[in-house]
This record gives sequence, C-alpha cells and structure tokens, in this order.
Amino acid sequence: MKVRFWGVRGSIPAPGPDTNRYGGNTSCVSVAADGARPIVLDMGTGLMHLGVSLMATEFGRGQGRAAVLLSHAHWDHIQGFPFFPPVFVDGNAFSIYGAGRSPSMLEGILEGQMNPHFSPIYTLKNLGAHIELHAVEPGVPFDIDGVRVIAQSNPHGSTTALAFRLECGGRSLVYAPDVGYPAGGPSEAVLALYRGADLLIHDCTYTPEDRAERLDRGFSSYEDAAGAAIRAGARHLVMFHYDQDYADDDVDALRDRCRAWLDAHGGRDIALTAAAEGLELDV
Amino acid sequence: MRVRFWGVRGSIPVPGPSTNRYGGNTSCVEVRPHDGPPLIIDAGTGIRRLGKQLMQERFGEGRGVAHLLISHTHWDHIQGMPFFSPLYREGNRLYVYARQRDDTHLRAVFAQQTEDPYFPVPLDAMRADVDFRELVDGESFSIGAARVACTRLNHPWIAIAYRVDVDGASVVYASDTAPFTDILLEHEFIERPPEPGAPLSPEHRAKLEAMRAGLVDLCRGADLVIYDTQFTPEEYRAKPHWGHSTPDDAIAVALDAKAKTLALYHHAPARSDDEQDAILATYRRRLAGSDLELIAAYEGLEIGLGEHDT
Repeated sequence: MKVRFWGVRGSIPAPGPDTNRYGGNTSCVSVAADGARPIVLDMGTGLMHLGVSLMATEFGRGQGRAAVLLSHAHWDHIQGFPFFPPVFVDGNAFSIYGAGRSPSMLEGILEGQMNPHFSPIYTLKNLGAHIELHAVEPGVPFDIDGVRVIAQSNPHGSTTALAFRLECGGRSLVYAPDVGYPAGGPSEAVLALYRGADLLIHDCTYTPEDRAERLDRGFSSYEDAAGAAIRAGARHLVMFHYDQDYADDDVDALRDRCRAWLDAHGGRDIALTAAAEGLELDV
Repeated sequence: MRVRFWGVRGSIPVPGPSTNRYGGNTSCVEVRPHDGPPLIIDAGTGIRRLGKQLMQERFGEGRGVAHLLISHTHWDHIQGMPFFSPLYREGNRLYVYARQRDDTHLRAVFAQQTEDPYFPVPLDAMRADVDFRELVDGESFSIGAARVACTRLNHPWIAIAYRVDVDGASVVYASDTAPFTDILLEHEFIERPPEPGAPLSPEHRAKLEAMRAGLVDLCRGADLVIYDTQFTPEEYRAKPHWGHSTPDDAIAVALDAKAKTLALYHHAPARSDDEQDAILATYRRRLAGSDLELIAAYEGLEIGLGEHDT
C-alpha cells in the first residue's frame, strides 16, 4: 500500500508562511493498494488537491471509482467535499463509509453541508458523480477490492470518531485521527485494532501541556500517540492532525519530544514520522 | 477609520507556498472607526487571527463589543466564526447582521453551523452574547458613529454589499456578485449556464439593471471599494452562473460611481501570488491616466481613511 498525505492539520485550515513545510490543509490521506480503487481517509481541505490530481486520471473522463472512509463529520473532516472536482463529473462513483446508524443519517449530514444557505451546490443530487453511502458498524470488517477494512470507535470530546485499520498483502495501516483517550488510554478493542500495525497514523494535536489545558476537546498529545503505539506494538508511528496554531518549528519540536518520549518508554524500535502535506510512505 | 484585510480568498482556504503573499484565508475584513466598536465584514477563516488580536484588548477581559456584517452565509464567509475566540469569553457581545431569509430565522442558520455532528460547541453554549439582526435590501442603520447601508448583489441564494461611512470616509464591501448582464441569480439552482449572448427576459433585465444601479449608488464617491474579482474574463465565460465577477466588471462599477480606490478581492483558490500580481499589473496598465487607483487586497494590508488616519 502507498499512503499519501494531502492535509495534516486539525480543526481549521491554517494558511501562512509558517505552515509551509507541514502544510495548512485539514485532514485527508489517500491509500493506493494493488488492484484496488483509491481509498480516501477523510475529506478535509486536502481533498481538493487530491481531486485535482485524480482529474488527470480516469476520474477526468468520468470512469473513476473511489472509496472514502469518514472518521466523523466535524467540519475539518468533510469541508473539502464540495471542492472535490471528481464529484462533479458524470460517471464517477464514490462509496462513502462513515459512522451513523444508517446510510440515510450519513446522507442527511452531507446534505446539511450542501444546503443552499451554505453552499451553491444546494443538494447532493446536483453532484454529477454517483454517491453510495454505507453506515460502518464498529468491529464488523468489510472489503474494498481486496483491502480488508475494520473500524473501532474512539472517544472524541463529546462525541466519537472512527479509527480504521486497512489490511492488504499481509501489511496493515491504521488511521486514528481525533481521539481523546480516558485516563487509562485506548480501550481493549481499539488496542486490538492498532495491534502490530505497520503504520499507525495517529492524532497528535498537542503537546502534553496544551492537551492538559484542553482536555474536553478530545484530542491526543504526542504522549498519548506514542503510548498507544508502544502498547499496541506498532512498527511506525505517524504524527497527524496538528493544532492550527502550531507553526512548522513547533511541529519539529513536537516530533523531537515524541522521539525522546518513545525512546524513554520502550519504543526505541518504533519508527517515527511527522506527517507533512505531500509526504508519501510505502507500507 | 482603518480597514484591515484578514482573509482575501474565495471559496475555500488555500494554505501553501503559492499563496504566502496574498494569503490563503477566506473572506474577512475589519473596519475600525477611530472611536467605537470594531465592525467586521464576513467571518471566513481570516476571522480566527482577528479574534486572537481582539482578545489582547477589551475582549480578553470579557468587555468587548463587535458588529459582524455578513454578506451571505456560504461557507467561505462564515466558516471562521466557530474559531473566533471572543465568542468563548463571557461578557463579550457580538451583533451579527445578515440579510433576512424567507424561510429561516438567521439564528437558526448560524446555529446549524455548530450543531452536532459538525462542531463540538453549539452556538447556545458559546459564552458571549450573540444577537442577530436581520436586514432587508436597501436598509440603513447606525452603529455608534458609523452609518451602514446595504444593497443586494447577484449571487446564488443572494448576497448583500455594505457601505460604512465614518470619520469622514467611506468603504464599500461588494462580495460576492456576478456582473449584471448575463444571468439573474436568486434562489433557483442553475445547472447549466445560458448560451453566451442569450437574451434576458425583460423582467430579469430590469431586475439586474436596478441591482447594478443600487450598487453604483452604494459605491458613489467611496474612498475604497472592495469587490469580488474571483474570475478572469475567460473563467467567467465558463461559469457565469457561479456568481462572481472579473476585474473588468469591478472597474466599470467603480468608475461609474467615481470611487477613489478599488481593491480586487475574493481571489480564486487556485490563483497563485504570481498570477495575482500579473492580473493587477494588467489592469493597472489599462487604468493608466485614470483617477481610479487599483490595488489587490492581501492578508495584513491595512488602509487608513478619512479623519485621524490619513
């Protein structure tokens, strides 16, 4: 599997010269697996730039198919959707998998975003592409062209967010954005989801000091991320979803402190990367 | 008064090296009279940094008052509001003005933005007092010493332009709008643009002419006109139904109104800094010898106008 980061920022896009290196776009990651349609993790503003690149492929001719795994529906995870060029092309087809008791609940959420008060699109029905919605049940695996996907629910402030595990060709990748663990850390079910992951992309919004001041927001510090990686025996931790106020130098420092924390707590063998827009990783 | 640009981008924020100079934040302009509370026009992502600055003043003590004039509620004009720090401090007061809607109370529109599952903090849980004032086209009112007037624009679901007069100076904010020549944009979704040159119905033509005349009146003699110029002429021809103008349209209105300075604004998300420089240079050459001064708005640009500030 090839993973590419299109948006690594949390909460709200953060343009400006001091975010040029890591990037200011909100959450969006794409996964390319052999023989599978592209799998997109979340639809923050990074999605627009993924869409522009997809338009040079079969998506530009209306013959594209992709799957989207949606962790939750906070704005920073869906705000790129109305600006994703391939959804305006007749013939393209998208399967969106998200939390919700039913596909119609998910449809209502996306309709709310397109409502004419907020968007000139008015309704999902005005998108040219075919959109198919699936409600994801935590713990129940499903298949996308040979990629096995399973989700678990994580606490995220007053709500929950899904973490996804993708397995293909004996390799595994976990995407766990937006999580604020209770004092004891991840649940057993979530640890099982992370277990032995070749790549663990984990919420790393804060320093421990900032996290302590903003506990109710439901995000992780690098200690939470590194602790989860160690307990689950992940091989490679990828820091993700930085606070909008963190400049590039702050993220550098966050990574260095995370490395030191891993080394001091039995995680010396875990590789560490701070996700940046444009970064590609092979799993 | 002082006018400061906090976000100049249209449609969607665009972080990255190619927008470092003009800025990637969406629409937000601060109008600061010499005395009295700040007026803020639109609440795109640019309002986040404005909020941080305001928290250094009275707003940090929960004693701040601000007036937020909303052109319309498309995302790029309101998406920064939940990240406006003064809203989270008890004692602060925010007055939000926007055009009255036929079907929905303004508060309900804004409440939806922060409802579950879209945002963790609902509007009613924000600690500042937020009052909504619904405006009808052509209405004018006072905010302290400032006089505010509005008129409607040609944009899907309808936007309004504002003029603020204070300290002996005037600024107009006209975003978002299509020109008034090819298509009338109101509440209906328009799937395909009309054929180029297709005749307008007499009713639509009359409405558009009245709209343009209203806007020219609003801009009359203004010191600064801030105008939606998202499109190049070529882009406009492909998307006349999207509700945005070209610099040509903005210049024509500013010249008709004998405005002093025109600021290109609401730049397209894909427009790089270098491309924006080239657009500005092209139109400046065309205006050589004219009394109209042309600028392109960028994040951080601050302009002093009228008494006290020029």
